[in-house]
Amino acid sequence: MSRVFLIVCALSLVAGLPAAFAGSAADPGITSRSITIGGTTPLSGSAQAFAAVAKGADAYFKYVNSRGGVNKRKINYKYVDDGYNPAETVRKTRELVQDEKVFAIFNSLGTEHNLAIRPYLNETDVPQLFAATGATTMGRDGRQYPWTIAYQPTYIAEGTMYANYIKRTRPNAKIAILFQDDDYGKDLMTGLRRGLGAKANRIVAREGHAATDDNVESQIAKLKGSGATVLMLFTTPKFTIQSFQYVNKLGWKPQIYVNAVSSASNIMIISSSRNQNKRVEGAISIVFLKDPNDPKWARDSGIKLYRQIMKRFGSGNAKDVYNVYGMAVAHTFVTALRKAGKNPTRRSLMSAVTSLNERNNPFVLPNMVVRTGGSDRFPLDQARLQRWQRGKWVSFGGLIRARSTG
Amino acid sequence: MRFARAALALTGLAVGVAAVFLVPRHVDRVSDIDLAEMGVYFIAILGLNIVTGYTGQISLGHGAFMAVGGYTTAILVADHGVRDLWTIPLAGLVAAVAGVLVGVPALRLSGLYVALVTFGLAVAMPQILKWDKVEGLTGGGQGIQLFNEEALLGKGFEDIDVFGHAVTFTRAVHYLTWAVAGVLLLVAWLVLRGPPGRAFRAIRDSEIAAASSGINLAAYKVGAFALSAFFAGVAGSLLVISVAFVNPETFPVVLSLTVLVGAVVAGLGSLWATVAGAALVTFLPDIVGNFSEAPGAPDSFYGLVLILIVILLPTGLAGGLRRLIEPLTTRR
Repeated sequence: MSRVFLIVCALSLVAGLPAAFAGSAADPGITSRSITIGGTTPLSGSAQAFAAVAKGADAYFKYVNSRGGVNKRKINYKYVDDGYNPAETVRKTRELVQDEKVFAIFNSLGTEHNLAIRPYLNETDVPQLFAATGATTMGRDGRQYPWTIAYQPTYIAEGTMYANYIKRTRPNAKIAILFQDDDYGKDLMTGLRRGLGAKANRIVAREGHAATDDNVESQIAKLKGSGATVLMLFTTPKFTIQSFQYVNKLGWKPQIYVNAVSSASNIMIISSSRNQNKRVEGAISIVFLKDPNDPKWARDSGIKLYRQIMKRFGSGNAKDVYNVYGMAVAHTFVTALRKAGKNPTRRSLMSAVTSLNERNNPFVLPNMVVRTGGSDRFPLDQARLQRWQRGKWVSFGGLIRARSTG
Repeated sequence: MRFARAALALTGLAVGVAAVFLVPRHVDRVSDIDLAEMGVYFIAILGLNIVTGYTGQISLGHGAFMAVGGYTTAILVADHGVRDLWTIPLAGLVAAVAGVLVGVPALRLSGLYVALVTFGLAVAMPQILKWDKVEGLTGGGQGIQLFNEEALLGKGFEDIDVFGHAVTFTRAVHYLTWAVAGVLLLVAWLVLRGPPGRAFRAIRDSEIAAASSGINLAAYKVGAFALSAFFAGVAGSLLVISVAFVNPETFPVVLSLTVLVGAVVAGLGSLWATVAGAALVTFLPDIVGNFSEAPGAPDSFYGLVLILIVILLPTGLAGGLRRLIEPLTTRR
C-alpha cells in the first residue's frame, strides 16, 4: 500500500516537474488557455473618433475566440482609455504591464503616446506591437528599440507617394502645404520633399498649426495668397473639414490632397456638407484598407466577413473604416501568434512579427503583402491612390510602394 | 463645540493615514497608480481651494501652474541631474513665482475677468511649451523622457528601498504623493485657520469691507495666488515623477477644468472634502467608461453625474457632509 503511494508520489513529481519549470519560465499573460494583451486608445476626449481602431480589433479577436482561438488559446484584449493624453498613456500602460500582467502591448494609438511608452516597454522587454502611428522612428530605430514595431505605411512613405504622382501628372504645379506642427505633419512634409527631389522648389508656401488650435482660417487664407495650384492637407480630421470649408469660402480652386489619417469617407462627407462643397470633389488620397462604404467591395469576401463580425461582435458603426483597420491589424497579430509557436514567448512573438509574410489579410487591398524582415520593420508599405468622386472614393493606378524612411 | 470638532478632525486624520497604508494592500480594484494620481489631484484641488474657495478668485488655469511645476522637475532631473525629491519644493517655488506674475495683473481685474485671464493661460501653456525659442529647454512637442534617469526615484519604475523594505515603484510614489499631500494639508489648515485665512475669507465676502478693516487687498490676493500656485506646482512635479515623462499634452486645458470640477464637487471653502473631490475626478472617468462604450457615452455620463451632484448637493460634498454631522458638533 505505502509502496503504491510512494510510486504515485514519485510519478506525480516527475510529471509535475516539467510543468513546474514551464510555469516559471513562461512570460506573464499567457497560459495554455489564454493570452492577454492590452493597449491604450482614446475612448473619450477630442480624438475619440479613433476608438474604432481598438474596437474593430477587439471584435475580430472575439470572432477568432468563438472559433476556438489560436492553438486553443483565447485572445483577451484589454483596451483602455487614455483620453489621448500621453501621461495617461504611460500610466495606463504601466497598469496593463504591472497589474494586469499583459503579454504584450498591442495597437496603442498616437505618435507622442507611443513614443512616451517606448523606452519603458523596451527596458522591461515587453513587446510594443503594431503601434497605431505612421511615425517613421517606430520602424527605423529597431536596433535601439528591438521590442517596438508599428503597422501602417509611414507618413514619409505617404508623402513620397503624393510627390511621385504630382511629378508625373502636374510637374509645374505650385504646391501649398497645411501641416500639423508635430512629428506627424513634419514626416509627411519630409516625404513630399524627398519625393519631389529637384522639384522641391515647387513648394511655394507652407503653414503650420498646433494640434490644439481652434481653427486654420488664417493659415488657409495665407496659403491661397501664395497663388498655389495644389493644396496638401497634412492634418487631422477636424482641421481637414475646416480647410475644405475655408477653401470653398475663399473661392480658391486648388487640387487638394488629403492625408490618410483624415480621409475616411465619413469625414469627406462631412466636408462636403450636403454636396454643396465643390472643392471636395476630385480630392486625392491614399488607401490601403478596403472601405466598407465602397460598393466595389460589396461582394468581396473580406468585407463580407467584416460585416458578419461587426454584426455579431462589433460595438460601433460598421461604416466606420477605422473598424477595418482594427480588424486588419488584429488579423496580422493572429498570424504572428500562430507563427510564434505552440507555446509563444515574448521573444518568439517578437521574432514572428519581424519576419512576417502575410498574404491573406482579407481587410487590406488585394495583392498587398504584410511583410517585415531583417531591418525592414514596416509591415505595411504599399498603397493605392484614390480620388473622391460623387460621394465616394475611387481608387486608381496599381499598388505603389515608397521607401518608409527619410 | 471645539472639542467635538478637534476630535472629528483627529479621527479624520487617523482614517486618512490608515487608508493610505491599507487601501493599496486590501482593495484589489484600486491600483497604486490611481491612488497616486488621486493624491496629485488632491494637492492641486487643495491649492485651488485656497485661491477660489477661500479668497473668491476663480482660477481656470491651475493646469498651467502644474505644467510649470512639472517641467521644472523634468528639466532639473534630465538636464542637471538634480535628485527628483529635491525638485518637488523647487517646482512649487517656480510655480509660485508664476502665480505672482499672474496674480499681480489679476489685481486690476475682478470676478469673471480673472477667470478668463487664467483660462487664457491654460489654453496658451501647451503652445508656449512648444514655442521654438524654448524648445531647447522643454523638448517641444516631444517632451522630455525621464525614464532611466539616475536622479529619478527607482530610475523610473524599479523597486525602491523604503526604510529597509523593498517597495514597488508605484507603491513608493503613492506613499510619497500622500506624504506630501498630508504635509500640504497641514500647511493649508495652519494658514487658513489663522489671520491670513480670516483675511482671505473677508476678501471673498466683500472686498470693500475687507479693505476698510485694514486688510491689504493686494498683498493677500497675490499671496493667495502664489500659495495656490505653489500647491499646483508640487502636484505637477509629483505627476511627472510618477510617469517619468512629460510633454505639453500632459497638461491639457481639460486638466484645469478637472481640478476646478474637483474643487466645486468637494465644496469650495472646505479642506476635508477635498479627498472626495479628488476621488471623484480620478475614478469617475473610469467608472463611466464601464457603462457604455458608444462614442461620446462616457463623456455624457460624466457630465450627467456632475449635473446631478450639483443639483442634489449645491454646496458640494462638504456641504452635504456638514448637514449630516452638524447635529453632532453643535449644541442646540
